[in-house]
Amino acid sequence: MRDPTTSEGIDRRTFVTGVAAGSLAVAGCTNEGSEGDDASEGGDGDEGEDADFEVGPAFREVDDPPDAVYLPTHREAMRTVDPLEAGDYILVPMLSYPHPFWLVTGGTGEDDVSREVPDDGRGVHLMFVLRDAKTDIVLPVEDGARIEIFADGEPVDGPRSPWPMISQEMGFHFGDNVSLPGDGTYRVEITLAPLSARTTGDLEGRFGERATASFEFVYDDAFREAVVGGVDYLEEEEWGRRDALEPMGNAVAGGPTIADYPGRPLVAPDGGSEDGAGPPRSGDAAVLGTLVESGNRFAADDPYLLVSLRTPYNGVPLPHASPSATVERDGDPIASEVPLEGAVDGEVGHHYGASLADVRPGDAVTIAFESPPQVARHQGYETAFLEMPPVELEVTDR
Amino acid sequence: MRAVTLPEDPSRREHLRALVAVGGTSALGACLDLGADGDGAGDPNAVSVPSGTDPDALPERQHAWNEALPTDEHGNVRPPEHHVLVALSLADGVDVPPSGDARETLEAALRTLERAYERSNEGLLFTLGYTPGYFDRFDEPLPDDLSLPEPGPLFPGGDPAVDAHDAVLHLASDEAAVVLEAEEALFGDRETVNGVPLEADATAVFDPLAERRRTGFVGAGLPAEHTDVPGVPDSIPAEAPFFMGFRSGFRRSQATEDRVTIESGPFAGGTTQQISTTALQLEAWFEQDNHFQRVSKLFSREHAAADLVGEYGEALEASNGLTAERIDSTAADAREHGVVGHAQKAARAREDGEPPLLRRDFNTVDGDRPGIHFLSLQRTIADFARVREAMVDEELDVPTANDGIRHYVFVDRRGNYLLPPRSLRALPPANPDGN
Repeated sequence: MRDPTTSEGIDRRTFVTGVAAGSLAVAGCTNEGSEGDDASEGGDGDEGEDADFEVGPAFREVDDPPDAVYLPTHREAMRTVDPLEAGDYILVPMLSYPHPFWLVTGGTGEDDVSREVPDDGRGVHLMFVLRDAKTDIVLPVEDGARIEIFADGEPVDGPRSPWPMISQEMGFHFGDNVSLPGDGTYRVEITLAPLSARTTGDLEGRFGERATASFEFVYDDAFREAVVGGVDYLEEEEWGRRDALEPMGNAVAGGPTIADYPGRPLVAPDGGSEDGAGPPRSGDAAVLGTLVESGNRFAADDPYLLVSLRTPYNGVPLPHASPSATVERDGDPIASEVPLEGAVDGEVGHHYGASLADVRPGDAVTIAFESPPQVARHQGYETAFLEMPPVELEVTDR
Repeated sequence: MRAVTLPEDPSRREHLRALVAVGGTSALGACLDLGADGDGAGDPNAVSVPSGTDPDALPERQHAWNEALPTDEHGNVRPPEHHVLVALSLADGVDVPPSGDARETLEAALRTLERAYERSNEGLLFTLGYTPGYFDRFDEPLPDDLSLPEPGPLFPGGDPAVDAHDAVLHLASDEAAVVLEAEEALFGDRETVNGVPLEADATAVFDPLAERRRTGFVGAGLPAEHTDVPGVPDSIPAEAPFFMGFRSGFRRSQATEDRVTIESGPFAGGTTQQISTTALQLEAWFEQDNHFQRVSKLFSREHAAADLVGEYGEALEASNGLTAERIDSTAADAREHGVVGHAQKAARAREDGEPPLLRRDFNTVDGDRPGIHFLSLQRTIADFARVREAMVDEELDVPTANDGIRHYVFVDRRGNYLLPPRSLRALPPANPDGN
């Protein structure tokens, strides 16, 4: 059997000090020749190996990180599987070693964020990015996917549903830590439910069918050496600095800029972000808004208030928040706390929006967040986008 | 009826549970070898539990179990510990409409069970239900006012297998040996039940489908005894009666038997039963979410913030603690807190404050993974559909991961059944009044 994975470091430089990129190709050849061994080891594990088994790199903490996006301790290495077509979707699976992440339920209370710490067992961090096969737009919306993992045709894990997650290198993806019984060849089956999120533009009326995809991967020394050895630690004085790692190549799309959106931009009367250069931020999330005139693809007959909430630096969309808009003109209320509903558009991707009948240039628009993005976070994002104060904007006449 | 189960050695209990899962003559034999014969007399070949009574003295409702079950100090009914769902297909040679002989044979077998075992958790409780497919065999349809549709997916995009056999026999008892013996007597080679000889051969009427046989258990401490099963984490609370780690089936959160009983027509006194066979993602639930998150997702955010539940639901007493205000605030909670509780959502399907479902669900490790056989009784399948819609509600502004327990439950198989009144339980025609 041909190993379908290919090497994909976050940063090719990591392989200079880690494992040579070519070793993965070698691993593929080796697996081809020893398929029988892999098969026999896949189902039952080999406890004799546990003693010197290396799960992954040490999980380093950042002391007292800011309540904002910050540089984590390291760049991760991972293997990218060839993209899979499944109905209207393209899936790009990726595999790394199990690592901590944070679940968010709510966001402002001390128990609202829980840290997932991987077991001491062997396994992988299994991820996939979901895209529209037609437009290549990333679909950052919860879809209730079902994952099952098999070795030699026997189930070894699942069913499980992956978490919607964000990471600086991967952007929005679905993923979870998965324990594996031992070295071997594993088959992953993914079932995607019909998309429940609102879709607009070229995406409207699509993703109505369930779709399935599957792939295989080999879990062995070569895999571990690649994903663990490929980890690239940042200089310690960089840890916790307010910045983000560069997103990795083909799995992540940066968000459109304000100029890419239709309609009249909304600007912050006070100049926007702390440095005055970018869009305003709330809880360190960038808030971009435009007012799209009636006759648009988003709403039936009325003007449409479109708000993009995304990570700073990398522009990764932040779904599953609950924003609302309040509009005032000369201090008089025009619209109050109108919920902005999440949607995915064929051109501008994920955003929030609502129809607003009577909004004009000069009106003050306050975007408030009843709850912050309910997505799991990798290191560097877990302290941001939690406490999110309102953002004041103004409709321009541009 | 005893109100309290005496403490037993966990490994012995686990062994008995495993024997119920295996089933058959040898499992029954092993059960008796363990001395689990009901009275502890240790007779290697006889089950000995309280005897039954004249079947004519028993209630017309098959599902009238509550009076026969013990209650806890808060009045909550405690379900039997061991459960088997025996899937049945009409045997070759059984005509439709069935002959009087076939009906009498089946009825005689069931009445033997009733005479043999006390109708209680210490003896045997059972119901026999029939699928839409069974009634489709008849030329006449079911009565106009009785709707028994085939089940659909519980969640959007689900693709569950559908119970396509004819009937299901639900056997329940606190004694592992009783459910095994009753099943073996009807469909295996056991010739006596609790010492009473069987008078009729049920296999002349029904073939049991071994691959569709389902089993399970419920009771304080039982889930935590299954941490050897893949996918069952060590962190399950020791006292929890259900795999999700909390009590359920609170008296005031359950429909009464009256509320789920069909009131008119030829099947008056019957009810409908739906069974969803689900797998559970317990490792994420117990090892990734924290207790606050679990309570938020199972009950409501307010339950978590006000610490209303306790470790495993022990603080809730006789209800799940949902006030009308909490139920009404479900959609607002979704936006404000980013999470809604499973119970909170489902309670929106109540009518005049009354829950429409009588849950008799139980845990399972069928297939060597954790799950729930979610069995509920309701007057109409439409009652269940309403609860399901309240549970799924795509208008709620939360991701699936924070939408009750949707992230953790996978529905693999579903079945809808009609439980006729006892007088019609043996091969009922689709329209008894029309024949």
